[in-house]
Amino acid sequence: MTLQLRAINKRFGERQVLHQLDLDVANGECVALLGASGCGKSTALRLIAGLDHPDQGSIRINGAEMVDVPAERRRVGMVFQSYALFPHLNVWDNLELGLRMRGGSAATRDERIRGVLEVLQLSGQARLRPSQLSGGQRQRVALARALLRDPLVYLLDEPMSNLDAQLREDLRPQLRRLMIGGEQPVVYVTHDQQEAMALADRIAVMREGRIEQIGTPRELYLQPASTYVAQFIGRPQMNLLPARDGVITGIRPDDLRLDPAGSPCTILSREWFGANQMLLVRCDRGDLRLVCPGETAIEAEPRISWPGTCEHRFDAVSGRRLPSDRLPSD
Amino acid sequence: MTHESMTRGRITPGLMTRRSLWIALLLVWSLAPMLWQLLSSFTTADALVNDQLSFWSRWTLNNYRDLLSTDPPFWRYLLNSSLVASLTTLLTLMLAIPAAYGLAKLPQRLKGILRTAVVGAALFPYVLLFLALLELARTFALGNNLIAIAIPYSALSMPLALLLLTAAFEALPNDLEDAAKLEGLSLWQRLRWVLLPLIAPASASTAILVFLFAWNEYPVALTWLSRSDLLTLPVAMARIAGSSTYSVPYGTYAAATVLGAIPLLVLVLVFQRQIVSGLTNGAIKG
Repeated sequence: MTLQLRAINKRFGERQVLHQLDLDVANGECVALLGASGCGKSTALRLIAGLDHPDQGSIRINGAEMVDVPAERRRVGMVFQSYALFPHLNVWDNLELGLRMRGGSAATRDERIRGVLEVLQLSGQARLRPSQLSGGQRQRVALARALLRDPLVYLLDEPMSNLDAQLREDLRPQLRRLMIGGEQPVVYVTHDQQEAMALADRIAVMREGRIEQIGTPRELYLQPASTYVAQFIGRPQMNLLPARDGVITGIRPDDLRLDPAGSPCTILSREWFGANQMLLVRCDRGDLRLVCPGETAIEAEPRISWPGTCEHRFDAVSGRRLPSDRLPSD
Repeated sequence: MTHESMTRGRITPGLMTRRSLWIALLLVWSLAPMLWQLLSSFTTADALVNDQLSFWSRWTLNNYRDLLSTDPPFWRYLLNSSLVASLTTLLTLMLAIPAAYGLAKLPQRLKGILRTAVVGAALFPYVLLFLALLELARTFALGNNLIAIAIPYSALSMPLALLLLTAAFEALPNDLEDAAKLEGLSLWQRLRWVLLPLIAPASASTAILVFLFAWNEYPVALTWLSRSDLLTLPVAMARIAGSSTYSVPYGTYAAATVLGAIPLLVLVLVFQRQIVSGLTNGAIKG
């Protein structure tokens, strides 16, 4: 099963939301659409689902053209950011409604719902209304509904952004076990780079309706195609030094090291996280973020340096990555 | 919020009694006329104009007996009004719910224009229309027909029903319908299984308001209905009031008012929760 988007254009009024968008998601692959709000990632998802109609372009699922197929018949399983559970129905009825409307015997329906409730540890909540559930439980009901849709494609629209950090980490393995890596392509929309890197096989970084770069998390981290991607992937953010001769140099905070032979600098602030710590230092090239192990003792006026092989070089005008003469360091 | 809860936390007994006093005054103000009617309906005609009569000789059930022994009996009008009001409510909801759904889905600018038009129609004094409506009744032979009179009633209630129901549809989160769509539900299935249950409170309060309008309506009923066995309550009651040239039958009239109010009271008591939540709206939470 594959999902294929070709030359998708979409505008809302004056605003061009998507420009000539191309995207391929293979069988069993999870592609994360990552970007700031308003970059068009959610619109792309709604177009795939059939909730909005593209102005131009083609959307194919398993080779079949979907643009003129209404959302009701597209067979996509979507998890909404708001969960979109039906507030007047209890958990069981929420899950049963779609199955009942699509037909099929009552016995198989019961069996499937019971199975999915079991898997998601919701058996005890079957008779509760959504308003009586916790955020994590609602989220799991939304997952269950998407699973029962028996879809050709899974679409996840910031499914965890309403949950607290702890719950997110707990739910990630469940998500991977149930949806990601099955037969279906998965498109995962998020603005959280950590979530994207943790779950996706490939990440498409979107900006102003275009895909700025698409690749594996590793590719994006090691060879960001532009300053935008460089700053979006990896935390803390990559340091971008002020342009010199039309070239912006970027260094990851973890590539900087304390070096008695390096250039002198002063500490502006320090954040200690236990396993590591982040320093904000000022040196002659500008302000830099530096990450080092937590137990490293820091002098008042440290000296820092970085290996030349760790430099990322970008064009100061376009922000695009400049071809480097050395091999990537992976 | 904090201010309010602070003052609520500091309610003293004195404040409580003062508040109850105001509520009591308000209740007296709005309920006293009804109580007066109720008392009058059980009072003899003599006692109404003569305060020298002893307490025990003032009371009677004659007013009610008179009312129910006329030809046609009074319950006939109650039945007529119930029929007309129910039909009107049904017809209005059947037309207004799909229309309101459509309105709520229109693009913003078009919706604004249409809403202004609907508000204009809702504020229009409909009494000005009754001659034109009478003309219509003549042309299409719709006079003296209890089913036909539901048509102008529905038309006149439509603007208000549209405003209330459109607001209810707009208050529903879009994701809910989108989710239903992706579940494979067709338009009618979405309306039946997702949207209608969610706007039920608004539908109930709309239904009550429409029912009330049809129950109370006078000018159209006066001109469209003339056969005495087809009259609705307001017209029938006006006839009682004007039935004698030399005296006003206050007692009978009061009895008619009491009987005419009972079905509405029952309706409001049954649906009071829905009415309140529908009128204040925003009652839907995920």
